[in-house]
Amino acid sequence: MDSLKKLNQYLKKYKGTLLLGALFLTGANFFLIWIPVLIRQTMDEVELLGEEYVGEYDSLFYVLFSSEAGGILAYNSFLLIGTVALYGVLLFATRQTLIVSSRKIEFDIRNKIMDKLLKLPQRYFAENTSGEIYTRATEDVARVREYFGPVLMYTINTITRAGFIITMMLIVNPQLTLWALLPLPFLSAFAYWVSGFINKYQLIIQKQYSRIAGKAQETFSSIRLIKAFNRTDYEQKRFELESDEYRKKKLKLDLVESLFHPTLNLLIGTAILIVIWQGGLMVMEGLITIGNIAEFVIYVSYLTWPVASLGYTVNRLQKSLASWERIDNVLNEPVEIRDEDEFAEEVFEDVKGEIIFDKVSFKYPGSTEFALKDISFTIPAGSSVAIVGRTGAGKTSLVNLIPRLFDPTEGEIFIDGKNLKEWNLTRLRRSVGYVPQETFLFSTTIKENIGFGVEEASMSEIEQAAENAQVLDNILDFEKKFETLVGERGITLSGGQKQRTAIARAIIKNPGIVIFDDSLSAVDTKTEAAILEHLRVKLANTTTIMISHRISTVKNADTIFYIQNGSIVEYGTHKELLKKEGHYSDMYHKQLLEQELAQI
Amino acid sequence: MSKNQKSEAVDSVLIRRLYYFFEPYKWWALFAIVLTLTAAFLGTVRPKLTQIAVDDYIALNDIDGLIWIIILLGLALAGEFLVLIVNTYITRWFGQGVLFSLRNAVFEKIQSLHVQFFDRNPIGRLITRTTSDIEALSELLSDGIVNMIGDLFRIFFILYFMLMMSWELTIVSILVLPFLFYSTFWFKSKVRVAFLNVRDQIARLNSFVQEHINGIAIIQLFNREEKGKEQFEKINAGHRDAHIKTIFYFSIFWPLVEVLASLAMALVVWYGGARALMDQVTFGVLLAFIQYVRQFFNPIRGLSEKYNTLQSALASSERIFGVLDTPKEVVETENPVELKKVTGKIEFKNVNFRYNSDGEQILRNVSFTANPGELLAVVGATGAGKTTLINLLLRYYDIQQGEILLDGTDIKKLSLENLRNSFGLVLQDNALFSGTILDNITLGNKDITREQVVEASQQVEAHQFIKKLPGTYDFRLRERGASLSMGQRQLICFVRAMVYDPKILILDEATSSVDSETEELVSRACERMMQGRTSIVIAHRLSTIKGADNILVMHKGEIRETGPHKKLIRKTGGIYRKLYELQYKEQALDTASTA
Repeated sequence: MDSLKKLNQYLKKYKGTLLLGALFLTGANFFLIWIPVLIRQTMDEVELLGEEYVGEYDSLFYVLFSSEAGGILAYNSFLLIGTVALYGVLLFATRQTLIVSSRKIEFDIRNKIMDKLLKLPQRYFAENTSGEIYTRATEDVARVREYFGPVLMYTINTITRAGFIITMMLIVNPQLTLWALLPLPFLSAFAYWVSGFINKYQLIIQKQYSRIAGKAQETFSSIRLIKAFNRTDYEQKRFELESDEYRKKKLKLDLVESLFHPTLNLLIGTAILIVIWQGGLMVMEGLITIGNIAEFVIYVSYLTWPVASLGYTVNRLQKSLASWERIDNVLNEPVEIRDEDEFAEEVFEDVKGEIIFDKVSFKYPGSTEFALKDISFTIPAGSSVAIVGRTGAGKTSLVNLIPRLFDPTEGEIFIDGKNLKEWNLTRLRRSVGYVPQETFLFSTTIKENIGFGVEEASMSEIEQAAENAQVLDNILDFEKKFETLVGERGITLSGGQKQRTAIARAIIKNPGIVIFDDSLSAVDTKTEAAILEHLRVKLANTTTIMISHRISTVKNADTIFYIQNGSIVEYGTHKELLKKEGHYSDMYHKQLLEQELAQI
Repeated sequence: MSKNQKSEAVDSVLIRRLYYFFEPYKWWALFAIVLTLTAAFLGTVRPKLTQIAVDDYIALNDIDGLIWIIILLGLALAGEFLVLIVNTYITRWFGQGVLFSLRNAVFEKIQSLHVQFFDRNPIGRLITRTTSDIEALSELLSDGIVNMIGDLFRIFFILYFMLMMSWELTIVSILVLPFLFYSTFWFKSKVRVAFLNVRDQIARLNSFVQEHINGIAIIQLFNREEKGKEQFEKINAGHRDAHIKTIFYFSIFWPLVEVLASLAMALVVWYGGARALMDQVTFGVLLAFIQYVRQFFNPIRGLSEKYNTLQSALASSERIFGVLDTPKEVVETENPVELKKVTGKIEFKNVNFRYNSDGEQILRNVSFTANPGELLAVVGATGAGKTTLINLLLRYYDIQQGEILLDGTDIKKLSLENLRNSFGLVLQDNALFSGTILDNITLGNKDITREQVVEASQQVEAHQFIKKLPGTYDFRLRERGASLSMGQRQLICFVRAMVYDPKILILDEATSSVDSETEELVSRACERMMQGRTSIVIAHRLSTIKGADNILVMHKGEIRETGPHKKLIRKTGGIYRKLYELQYKEQALDTASTA
């Protein structure tokens, strides 16, 4: 219930509107019950008039438009239409207030969770699958919305409508009321059971559905093997087994669903039947009129939906709350990598770029093994460093620590002599130009992608950055040039073009430190040489850290680190390392051979 | 205009083709329609019975008669209840039956298609065809059509009973129908546009969220959290406003329907009241009409909704039949030659191959022979065309020029089953399925006994580790065999190839992904498997093929060097020699890193 209290805080902003909506809905239901009352009155008055003036009414025109009876009929019908119109208007106003507010609250919650997601440290994204995180900001919010929308509206509706109708029924005849209401609790219980069953079974069916998809995936992706062993018939049988299981499960749900409407119908029909039976007996005893029977029949049909929705509402509420709890967990997630208040003030001196690692060890959250072990080194400002080593050796983990995507588990890192944790985070990240291993561009224009990290980048700056990254010519070849859209709705860039765009994005910031995480892998050697040449001029005073598998990329670096299993096992210049005849020189010779082979 | 006609023609073809799957259930469907008719009658007869109750018994103080009519009402109610349940279930049942056979047909068709079809279509798309596209037909097939017919029956019966009681009141009470029709159409058209917008907005929102979760590191590195938040608020606002717009239409439409229904009641009371005063209409009739007016509205609303269901179902069935109509490109000959005893001689004669007629040449003039019992090794850099040789040999693709012969017979003259049964294949990706180890080895072939499996796995020394697993051969593998090591997976694939006792063994990079501890085990297994068989081995590890009778060195689609290891290694500047040196370096590195 604590989480419900938290959830209800989002209501505060719209308290006025919501109260108004509740009022509208109450009003609507108030007018609604006048419809059967008016019909009963009319019928009763007609009955009385008919008994008073037997045989006097023989012209339809006369009856409708000039007689006393006509007056009564017209008056009552007019009242009826007026009531109905008011009811309609109020219902409109209800939806416009209650449901519209629920969309606004949804908007608020969604903004809040997105804001939080954007600030959460990388640790969170490593701990949770992106599918889960995605669900939090999309489906879960939509489900919570149902609490503020349908759940709230139906609850108010059921309470007020049932309240009015039952009161009115009791005034007319308590005994008949009891009879008429007899089947309704069953209706509510039944709706609750059915909607619960449907929810539960839909999950089961969803699972079976994924099994079918999984089976198809398994078969289609191993099609060569299956064909080679002539096993298509067997696979067909296995698929049909899953397919049949799906059908069976679906039919179980269908069975319950096919009970739903008929049972609803039966219970309502029973209520009407009881009204006519017991009401009929009462009419015969002179306790009530036929008008009352008509009135009760309408009451019962008005109660159907609110009563049935009660069961359904309870289920929805449960689902909404479950989703809310998941969202609340995200909102409560600690953000451990952030500015401490005392260091938050902006300092505007340039970063020189000296980097010191002091006995740094690092473990990924949830992992038992260290990805980096006791690493210490000093990179002088303005120098260039290359990091090589096999996949999984810890190269990326190492560079991720510099812009504080993760914090080291042990040890300290200093930039320009100042502990990394004392740097203003925004400023630190502004000074680090990072080109990640997996090039990620946003589906917007090339211009916006390159100018991603700078406020209001001028066109000439963007062009210059593109030029330095050797991607300018490619961009100018596109029809819309820098306005070309990238990604799903735009063009697909080649791997090399993507990498070079990402390089342009990193260097346009004029960073004090640049990090290239295997960022030239999809670029051919000639272009690579051109880029490196440009960067050497452009980044002469910038500390450069370059991860690569290619000797050609790294051989001119001031220092080369060879990393293995999270430790630096060799370091030095290209020449020094070759002399050592260790890992690095092996790698070098292997690449030479590969080159020769490629040239054959 | 002509476009409309054309699409209607397409629709009718689609419906006819769907009917083919529906055919086995047609008597059930007929039965369902009869039930629908009964339910429609029983549902609409009740107000008529209340009229009789009021006019003939209550008004005349006839208690026995009232009880009698109440029993009748009860029976109608119970009858409708039962008929509705049976009817709904039957329609769902045969609907699921149709979906079941459609789904299986699509799966069967896809499986039977040539391998190139799988290259051209992403697997995700093929899965969609077998799952969600079929699912989209569910609504139409399970209750769409039958409900539509039921709605029509209901309207018909209501009109019938109303007219029977009073034609004047009938006309008065359906006076509002034109308004109902008009507002329904207005609503449908407005809401469709609004819903399209909502769908766009949802897609925008979702893809924004998706993209920003995937690119979160970039956002944080480039200090874009605030900007991202601002952008999101804009998209989120668009999403909110699109919803609010549809709420507007709904909040007009639903109250309007209620108002119209009540208006019809008011008209009935007004005009009926006057007629009642004239003794031309009874109170019972008034009561019945009040109920009919409410009953009338549901089927009309229902009918207008079914149209949309039909539309989306047709779109899906078009895609489904698109797959079912795909022609097969690797076609079996009609009168295949049967090779009873395969000896295992393979010949390639001047084989040329490209995937598409305008595509790159993958193989150029490849000729070689592998004699029964020989070990033929194929080496070369990635993309040299090694795997293509195997693809062609198994007829995953057909060659454009040249000939491939098995025991002197063109493989195109053999049935696919006959051809493929002669080979035992171990692929590089170690394809394992979820299921028991036994199933993974026999691939469900009931002719292979457990003893044969054990024997085969003893031969390749897989038995030792399998017997240690809980449940031994009945140990259930998770998807892709994730619970086993690479080497263990490899050995299972070996056993799989062995139990079929093939004449020709094909190992495609079979030893490349094995760690060095199991490598020895694996190469011992390899040697044992090759005994008495023609073997074609594609390998990165040259150490495993030193003993080959013949080595083909492929380079850019051509055979550049052939001969046994000893001959090739002596050729200075040769490709094989370079590859060998490269390998040696890598192995040196390996031993260094494990040491």
